[in-house]
Amino acid sequence: MRRAILLTVVVVTALLLQSTVFPNATLLGAKPELMYLLAISFGALEGPASGAIAGFVGGMAQDFLLNQPKGITALTLTLLGYAIGMLRQFIVSPSPLLPVFLVAGGTFSGILFYGVVTFLLGQMDTSWLYQLRVAALSGLYNALLTPIAFPILRRAVEGSRSQRVFRW
Amino acid sequence: MAMRTRARSTRLLVVALVSASLVTITIDYRQGDGGPLAAAGDTALTLISPLQEAVSKVTQPIGNFFSTLVRLPSIRRELEDAREQIAEFRAEFGEVRSDQTRLAELEAILGLQDSLSRRLETLAAEVIAYSVSNFEWTIEIDHGSSDGVAEDMPVIASGGLAGHVVRTSPSSSVVRLIIDPDSAVAGRLEGSGEPGLLVGDGQDDLRMELVDADTDVMPDENVVTAGFSIPGVGPSLYPPNILIGTVSRVLSDEGALEKSITVRPAVDFSSLHVVLVVLSSGTG
Repeated sequence: MRRAILLTVVVVTALLLQSTVFPNATLLGAKPELMYLLAISFGALEGPASGAIAGFVGGMAQDFLLNQPKGITALTLTLLGYAIGMLRQFIVSPSPLLPVFLVAGGTFSGILFYGVVTFLLGQMDTSWLYQLRVAALSGLYNALLTPIAFPILRRAVEGSRSQRVFRW
Repeated sequence: MAMRTRARSTRLLVVALVSASLVTITIDYRQGDGGPLAAAGDTALTLISPLQEAVSKVTQPIGNFFSTLVRLPSIRRELEDAREQIAEFRAEFGEVRSDQTRLAELEAILGLQDSLSRRLETLAAEVIAYSVSNFEWTIEIDHGSSDGVAEDMPVIASGGLAGHVVRTSPSSSVVRLIIDPDSAVAGRLEGSGEPGLLVGDGQDDLRMELVDADTDVMPDENVVTAGFSIPGVGPSLYPPNILIGTVSRVLSDEGALEKSITVRPAVDFSSLHVVLVVLSSGTG
């Protein structure tokens, strides 16, 4: 229950920031992709199952505000959250920069995957060059936001874990 | 053993979520704008728009302050240009007034006064949010169906044409900007009167298509809304003679059937705050 409330609050906050604050603060014309950041962070913090759920919920919420076939972002982010969660299990690096690289690489690949799906569905309106540019710039922007967003999400996730009661 | 069971249940979960996404894509793709998912999208818009409006009200002044600081040198230049233009307009004003009097007399004679003086009924709206995606160029405004806003209504901003309404909720609406790749506007070159179709290209200039290769096109020539239908495209949503932009590039390719023209929009879409929704329909 606490996890569901946390996910709802985080997704709504990300949608609000993405649609009101960041359009006025773009990086060379590109906005960050906060839902990608969210799915990757949940995958890295909590494993593949949490990453997939956060990706699905966040992606579906974003899809319902867009004017294109709903479900494409949800599909992309479900797989992205799961993939990052799986990948994280095989990385033992203690580097504090690891989340930054995971977010940068994950966002870049996720946006390209989204491009491939929209292309296959005949819904791609932009050029591949633009897709590549947005993937690179949003990946960079998300990576720059990670040192702020990741610790906040980690604290929120840790706080929402069900408390075990030990009786002696 | 427990690890293996957990891995299997995670895989099952992912398969279920991916299947749910694929089913959603399929249903929405087949049902288009009239299906239950489109209605759910409108409900999502209704729920989130009050929150977006509140956040926008709080963050916009802060954002404006910083963007003004960044744009200070260009603002000073624009101010000087504006002063020069005011001086020019003042000089022209006297001339125009006498022309207008004469024009009014002629119109009255021809019985055209009623049709020409018909004013468009408009509604001022504030921009409360932008698209959440990098691949869609839309804005959200703070008026919706309860204020008389309906789908396909044209939207004008300071400078010229901004776009048209694509979705409405009772208190907010989504406007597709003319720079969106899904947008197509029937326009005409002001000098030659040659019509064409202006298609959005995201952050790049608009592409003006279907213009005959023999047409003379001047750099910086104004392009305005045509206000009439183009065969095979359908009737125009927009009233005639609204400025769309100016010609930025003309490429003549010998042997080509149409000219390759790009048009720089008159509206600065990076800083849209207030727009006008045209409540009365275009000429069709």
